[in-house]
Amino acid sequence: MIANSIKQKHGGPLRRQKIRLSQFIYLIVTCGFLCLFLFPYLYLMLSSFKPPREVISSTPALFPSQFTMDNYLAMFTHLSIGKYFGNSLVTAAFATLLSVLLGSMASYGLTRFSSKLGNLFLVFTLGVRLIPLISVAIPLYRIIGEVGLMDTKLALTLIYTSINIPFVIWMMLGFFDSLPKELDESARVDGCGMLGAFIRIILPISLPGLATTAIFSFMLSWNDFLFGLLFTSTAAKTVPVGISEFLTAYNLDLGPMTAAATLFSLPVMLFSFFMQNYIVRGMTMGAVKE
Amino acid sequence: MTTKDRRLSIVFFLPAAVFMILFFVYPMFLLFKNSFLEDDQPYGFVGFEHYGSALTSQTFYRSLLNTVEFVIGAVTVELLLGMVLALLLSTGFKGSNYIRTLLLSPLMISPLVAGLIWKFMLNDQFGILNSFLYKLGFISTPQSIPWLSDSKYALLSCMIADIWLTTPFMMLVLLAGIQGIPESLYEAARIDGANKAQSFWHITLPSLKPVILVAVAIRMIDAARSFDIIWVMTQGGPNNASSLVSTVIYKAIARYNQEGYSSAMAVIFMIILLGICSFFLKHFWSPAKKAA
Repeated sequence: MIANSIKQKHGGPLRRQKIRLSQFIYLIVTCGFLCLFLFPYLYLMLSSFKPPREVISSTPALFPSQFTMDNYLAMFTHLSIGKYFGNSLVTAAFATLLSVLLGSMASYGLTRFSSKLGNLFLVFTLGVRLIPLISVAIPLYRIIGEVGLMDTKLALTLIYTSINIPFVIWMMLGFFDSLPKELDESARVDGCGMLGAFIRIILPISLPGLATTAIFSFMLSWNDFLFGLLFTSTAAKTVPVGISEFLTAYNLDLGPMTAAATLFSLPVMLFSFFMQNYIVRGMTMGAVKE
Repeated sequence: MTTKDRRLSIVFFLPAAVFMILFFVYPMFLLFKNSFLEDDQPYGFVGFEHYGSALTSQTFYRSLLNTVEFVIGAVTVELLLGMVLALLLSTGFKGSNYIRTLLLSPLMISPLVAGLIWKFMLNDQFGILNSFLYKLGFISTPQSIPWLSDSKYALLSCMIADIWLTTPFMMLVLLAGIQGIPESLYEAARIDGANKAQSFWHITLPSLKPVILVAVAIRMIDAARSFDIIWVMTQGGPNNASSLVSTVIYKAIARYNQEGYSSAMAVIFMIILLGICSFFLKHFWSPAKKAA
């Protein structure tokens, strides 16, 4: 503070002008990057409103010559996209619910009682991050087939739940650790059991953390492509798998593809835009220790 | 802690543990076991045959090299771009908060959609990127660069999509790290007469080292495991030019039903990943940990 005020006295108006100029340059350069990064998505979105032929015009323009909903209509007639959205929503929502419940219970158990078994479990859940998902998918391919769950929402829900659990555990670990142990102790003095203290005291306090974790779990399942591609064919097909089929089935009919991709990602983008503060906290949690 | 409490603690993490055992431990065990068995019924024991054929397979070897190239190329550019953006935003000029928000909004896009967008933009018939380059006079016809169908450019195209998708993540993590550096360090440096470049080299970079390492480690693992972007953009083609280990494994299991062979490739892949990670963390991470 003192250093600053001294400098201002010495620097005078010239220095202030220099600061403003450099700030202006930063602004321009950053805006340039921003345009580069926003352009692809904007282009996709704008293309989805073009007349279908314009989407694959050999002289592409940024803006549609006229805004139409043709691509959206074509998407609904070509594909049972509504069903795919339902499948995606149901599997992602149930997987989120289950994984947040089981994961936070485990996480709480691990912070409150230290045991060798618990620590081993913790290390294992961290190690899971290193396993390429395709490696889990190969053996699951046979297991799911053998128990007759191929192409079911149940199979996808269970798989997504197990993939999300390690993530939930690590997200909630820091959160539960920061809650004072006196909280659950006093609840137990008041006659709650361990489980009662967890459900009545700890979970409600942790709601913000739980919300962030739930958002992430939902995204993980919502955005999954690999498991959907391997384990569904007709009945349980999710949106990403449906969208990817535009590339093979309607090779040059990319209009409906742009519409489906926009519809699939826009709600998530908008949502993350408004929930930004929570999301930033979640994303940087693992990498940046306070 | 009473015995009753101890029993309760197990109740807390048992359900999650059961899930993990059913969907990770047991499958991993099966993966390992199957890598020694025939591809088809009656699943006879074949020893290291699959490992042998994987290690001598041109395709697998190519995909390993491609994966290394993809990881190094994409993560390097992401780190540099992310650092530039984080430094720019950390100066806190007017409006930087809004720009940060906008830059973060694509973070939640799925790799699948990212792949689709770039497949669409890089198309050699109607792609807008070639059209731009043509209008700017860099290429002679709008069809000059067959981004996805030429083996020279296919992997590069996939890297571009990955860089676009995950640079904001890198930027976010680095920005959080930069904001955690105490301002007093910079003030002290200023009093000692350090210029901006000097305080970057002597304060920002060293303080950011642990953050950079963790961010790079996370990104390296994720880039090595990428599947969606590649599959959507090129399916590993043309002629395996952009095939990564994950796409080769996927083809072996989903197209040719070679369970044993794909299992063997997956085991090799995991061993390599674990090896690299432990090397990375041991050699780069531990000193930082000790210092902290």
